[in-house]
Amino acid sequence: MGLGKRDKKSSSTATSPCAHLRAAYHNCFNRWYSEKFVKGQWDKEECISEWQKYRACLSEHLDDKHLSRFLEAEGPVGYVFQEDSGNPVENTAK
Amino acid sequence: MVKGYTQDHIYKHPWERVTSASWRKFADPENKRTLSHILEVDTLNRRLDPDSGRLYTTRALTIHAPGPWFIRKIIGQDICHCVESTVVDAQSKSMQLTTRNVSLQKFIEVEEKIRYDPHPDNPTGWTICRQETSIRIKPLSALASMAEKVEQRCAERFMQNSAKGREVMERICSVGAQR
Repeated sequence: MGLGKRDKKSSSTATSPCAHLRAAYHNCFNRWYSEKFVKGQWDKEECISEWQKYRACLSEHLDDKHLSRFLEAEGPVGYVFQEDSGNPVENTAK
Repeated sequence: MVKGYTQDHIYKHPWERVTSASWRKFADPENKRTLSHILEVDTLNRRLDPDSGRLYTTRALTIHAPGPWFIRKIIGQDICHCVESTVVDAQSKSMQLTTRNVSLQKFIEVEEKIRYDPHPDNPTGWTICRQETSIRIKPLSALASMAEKVEQRCAERFMQNSAKGREVMERICSVGAQR
């Protein structure tokens, strides 16, 4: 039912396989955001290499969380809100 | 049946600092103890529109959401996955986040919207944060008979977590102000 057996809490300890790449990307992003983006320099993306490495790791490791489908989500705001497949849930999408 | 509530908060810090703090809220190690219910945060997608100065981000949140034993018996798990979609408009100085659960949808639908804008009374110095949350137990789910009670409990938990989130944000902003 639903997602059935889910990850136990232990699967989300600090030893997530992408943790280092994630931290590297988030640190780079936070610096860019506060030092450039909000100060008017929004014309250029940065942290591209960090992002690509991190995202490649996510693609490889996120299947068991059922979130890999969201990696494909593009679109203006990225609202991807999918019902669990196979369950007769009433659709209340806005 | 929907339980909804709105909370406003004024940060006496500029919009740039507050929105930067929002990005760091879940990741700063010293704040992880306060927000221990947040287990994992991953960025799934991000896109910058260089012409408009808008940044679009999608993140996945894994949250520990324990309930009483009889709830766990029905739902079968303590973990909830959510997706957070964010738009930051650097030109007009506005940040909007929308978070929804993507697991447990058979039982519950939660949507939380947060907006950060410069405060009209002090646009360069203060930031107003408005948070709207709605919680709905799915009518045909096994929780429907106790929907009102569960929604109330969820709302209480959310409000506690929001207060913790604000505490963490204030802490990050204070550190930022000293730099």
